[in-house]
Amino acid sequence: MKNKACVTIIGGGVVGSATAYYLAKNGLTDVVLLERDYLSSGSTGRCGGGIRQQWSERMNVRLAMRSVEHFKNFEREVGLNIEYFQGGYLLLAYTEEEEALFKKNVAMQQEEGLDVVLLSREETVRKFPFMNLEGLKLSAYCPSDGHANPHLTTFGYARAAEKMGVNVLTHTDAKRVLVENGKIRTVVTDRGEIETGIVVNAAGGYSHQAGEMVGLNLPTESYRHQIFVTEPLEHILDPLVISFVNNFYIRQTGSGNFIMGQGDRDELPGLEITPTWKFLKEMSDKMPRFFPFLKDVRILRHWAGLYNMSPDAQPIIDRSNEIEDFYFAIGFSGHGFMLAPAVGEALAEWIVFGEPRSVDISNLSLQRFERGFTREKNVV
Amino acid sequence: MNNPDLLVLGGGPAGLCGAIEAAREGLRVLVVDEGISPGGQLVKQTHKFFGNENFYASTRGMEIAGKLLKELSLYPQVILACESSVLAVYPDGVPVLDRRSDSTYLYNPTRLLVATGASEKFLQFDNNDLPGVYGAGAVQTLMNQFGILPGKSVLMIGSGNIGLIVSYQLDQAGVEVKAILEASSRIGGYRVHADKVKRLGIPVLLNHTILKAIGEKSVNGALITALDERWRPVPGTEREMVIDTVCIAVGLTPSAELVAQAGGQLKYIPELGGYVPLHDSDMRTTIDRVFVAGDVSGIEEATTAMIEGRIAGLNIVKDIKGKCNETRLEELKETLSAFRSGPTSSKIRSGLEKMDLVTQPARYVEGEVNRSGEFRGKLRPIIECFEAIPCNPCETSCPVGAITVGENINDVPVIDYSRCTGCGVCATKCPGLAIFMYQEREDGMALVGIPYEFLPVPEKGQSVYATGRSGEVLCTARVDRVTRSANKTNIVYLTVPEELGRDVRHIHVTNREESSLICRCEEITVEQVKKAIREGYVDFEELRRYLRVSMGPCGGRTCRLNTLMILSGETGVPVEKLSPGTLRPPAIPVSFGAIERNAKVTHE
Ligand SMILES: Cc1cc2nc3c(=O)[nH]c(=O)nc-3n(C[C@H](O)[C@H](O)[C@H](O)COP(=O)(O)OP(=O)(O)OC[C@H]3O[C@@H](n4cnc5c(N)ncnc54)[C@H](O)[C@@H]3O)c2cc1C
Ligand SMILES: Cc1cc2nc3c(=O)[nH]c(=O)nc-3n(C[C@H](O)[C@H](O)[C@H](O)COP(=O)(O)OP(=O)(O)OC[C@H]3O[C@@H](n4cnc5c(N)ncnc54)[C@H](O)[C@@H]3O)c2cc1C
Ligand code: SF4
Ligand code: SF4
Repeated sequence: MKNKACVTIIGGGVVGSATAYYLAKNGLTDVVLLERDYLSSGSTGRCGGGIRQQWSERMNVRLAMRSVEHFKNFEREVGLNIEYFQGGYLLLAYTEEEEALFKKNVAMQQEEGLDVVLLSREETVRKFPFMNLEGLKLSAYCPSDGHANPHLTTFGYARAAEKMGVNVLTHTDAKRVLVENGKIRTVVTDRGEIETGIVVNAAGGYSHQAGEMVGLNLPTESYRHQIFVTEPLEHILDPLVISFVNNFYIRQTGSGNFIMGQGDRDELPGLEITPTWKFLKEMSDKMPRFFPFLKDVRILRHWAGLYNMSPDAQPIIDRSNEIEDFYFAIGFSGHGFMLAPAVGEALAEWIVFGEPRSVDISNLSLQRFERGFTREKNVV
Repeated sequence: MNNPDLLVLGGGPAGLCGAIEAAREGLRVLVVDEGISPGGQLVKQTHKFFGNENFYASTRGMEIAGKLLKELSLYPQVILACESSVLAVYPDGVPVLDRRSDSTYLYNPTRLLVATGASEKFLQFDNNDLPGVYGAGAVQTLMNQFGILPGKSVLMIGSGNIGLIVSYQLDQAGVEVKAILEASSRIGGYRVHADKVKRLGIPVLLNHTILKAIGEKSVNGALITALDERWRPVPGTEREMVIDTVCIAVGLTPSAELVAQAGGQLKYIPELGGYVPLHDSDMRTTIDRVFVAGDVSGIEEATTAMIEGRIAGLNIVKDIKGKCNETRLEELKETLSAFRSGPTSSKIRSGLEKMDLVTQPARYVEGEVNRSGEFRGKLRPIIECFEAIPCNPCETSCPVGAITVGENINDVPVIDYSRCTGCGVCATKCPGLAIFMYQEREDGMALVGIPYEFLPVPEKGQSVYATGRSGEVLCTARVDRVTRSANKTNIVYLTVPEELGRDVRHIHVTNREESSLICRCEEITVEQVKKAIREGYVDFEELRRYLRVSMGPCGGRTCRLNTLMILSGETGVPVEKLSPGTLRPPAIPVSFGAIERNAKVTHE
């Protein structure tokens, strides 16, 4: 095992892997990526794979649009087909409040150059006749949104980083970080020590614990989110469909399977990811109401992962003021997969050049919580 | 009954016996079984059973099932639900799918007895997905439960007890069994079963395997070949057989998915058939409220399944009522132990020992001969020579006089490890190939030196299958070194996990057809798996996600172990050191509609 590295990244999810890739691409290859289990074993490998640019906060829209550029070029740039598909996102508005919010958001998103449009109930029904859209007010539809395979995205970044010289260590658990006078010295793992000056916390659901290793109390906590996949059907559903008030999202994968999930307001913070019957039951009662053809479709596998939540449901991308060269990309609040390319890129630039260059992430600083903040509304 | 005291998953002999014990003490019991009628493997068995007189030996399997069911029907607070599958064991309940009404119901039992039996292992050869290729269990179900014959002429793969018995049953039903193929050099099942089949004139071809099923839409032939001592096809021995059915009987593996989902720990124990739920002698798993019994806790026999079921049942009574008939419990444990003390149960015994379950020691003198414990870490010979035979080359060959057979040449050798230098000469000289070199290492692995008289001699670094005393594959291993000897008995040194070191006694290299399917649901070939491993996907979960192997409706029941074996072969990491990956609910696919509809099980 390598015992010295310029940068040590904690976490082999999509964020850690993307960061490793962009570090190497910017010439910094003396990097170790630590993953306690296998690559994509955390939230990444459990997520829905949706890639959306329709956000209520302007900066999030920009960050997501930057990521989409990378997803589009992924196969050419990184060298792996990640089943990226731009089938759009369809957001359903059922209340007057939602209607007003969608109109405001779409106007802002269009200002940013996003190809999003509002569809009336009739237009939506015409476009998606197989859905039951009773009670719908309107929908927001963005054709350039889409989805990709999260495992393959992570593998793609990690393999490409490895080829450039990054050391990817799976089944290696970061246990402690030794700090002297506010400077990082060593990362202690269960398989040996790594002398290092720079640490990136990309520990996903465990970001708070990774912060504690250097004595920081990062404001993130994790919540269980469940999801399941059905047997494959013929392809009919292009966009990923979300309803915030009815609390669901659903998409069809490249192989034809339907993946869907919901949030659970009763969840308490914690690291438990055992799936429950309650979820399966609620989803089975609910989903065929909106998608009648699902009734006789069979569910194959059901699992859960962690949403790492920040106080305003937006990621925290920053470096510590107290511990020198301790960076973190955490608290993705259920949308870290789609943001990973732009975040990895920005973070790598910060480390290599002293500042993020390709996109402005100043609104995602840790300090924002001292100033007061607005919560991202477009989350399931 | 939403909250039965006991929910039994599986109505085979183990589950039924567990239910009887619990019901006898007044517990409310619900037994669910996937089958059309309860009884598990028993109802498929038309032959007379072996085993313990007190446990229905020499009764036919189907009659045993009838007796157990009759006994159970004496208790009114027991519900037996067939065509019902347990979908998962969630923290908030156990959903059961009733297939007749296609609806589900959630139960919250106080205790759970998982007695789901076993599923069949699958074999890789070309066209193994053609209609007409069946597992032995499917053939038995078709014939004995539904009265349907699988075909007119059958090729049986595997000469274990199941392969032999099913061949006999096929013949009884008027189906021609063209041959039984066995890859190893001896018949796997009991002699008596083999003799019975031989008397019918069915040839058992030792050192033979199937390469390919022939046919377009369904099977109309098979290509078979002879194998050499290292299980490699011998060129020029291929031949075609005209048959319309291939029946695969290459062993069973515990159906432990539900235990794993409930959070119970599994361990890979090849002697017991694969991944087995860890449990104690009360049959309690690592989860307090979950018990196991029967084949799911390790592939064994109906007799032991019934005893285990009763032991589990009594302990469940004790959990719930605070006491049970302790004398009876002790008696049952003793009966079980006695049953397993015979020479044919040595594999089971060593499997159970890996779970820290004490079994009655095998009846041969070992300690005295070896006293190996004291010399842990030293490279030394293990002498497995327990029979009084007139022989002493070990004594005469040892350059330092560490081995003594003594005046009577019939005595067994005794070794003095304090004198032994670990030179290995004795191992190359023993005509019985009964001496193995052995050394524990600090990293949990052990070095095992095997006397090997075949050609070609494997090379250093090569990956081979390490096999046990009956030729069963225990793990994959890398050749550490080979010491050559003038008398052609070379010693091949392997590194294997220490817990297997005492069982590894031979090696072989199998041949897997590259283009054959490993995962039938997603149509993934052996070659694709190997390629992905070379690309760096060396973790089962990574492979699964990269290739989608074992992502299909079967949930990996058939392909998981096969993929792990290939992974192990390619990387040199023994299977038991690999993570088997997660087993996700539901255990079988279930529709939205069935989950939405609720129906309580009421029928008997
Ligand atoms: C059910 C569900 C659905 C989702 N759907 C979407 C979606 O559609 N679109 C979207 O963009 N996002 C979605 N998300 C969110 C998304 O999965 C995450 O935001 C994203 O994967 C975060 O990536 P990450 O690399 O930060 O974290 P992770 O993937 O969790 O990676 C962190 C890794 O760090 C490892 N680790 C932690 N501590 C240590 C340590 N001490 N030492 C070594 N390794 C360590 C962990 O094992 C883990 O593999 C969903 C999440 C869930 C749970
Ligand atoms: C050909 C053959 C010959 C044999 N001969 C002998 C012999 O001579 N002597 C002897 O002692 N033994 C013999 N055996 C072995 C014996 O049949 C088995 O060891 C014994 O049946 C194991 O009992 P069990 O209850 O553990 O499992 P099984 O009998 O396999 O019963 C398990 C039951 O669980 C049900 N089930 C599984 N999963 C689920 C689920 N998710 N939900 C609901 N139900 C489920 C299955 O449908 C099945 O009915 C033989 C076996 C075979 C195949
Ligand atoms: S290893 Fe060598 S020294 Fe030891 S008993 Fe055998 S022959 Fe004698
Ligand atoms: S030479 Fe081998 S068979 Fe003969 S006594 Fe010694 S160990 Fe036994």
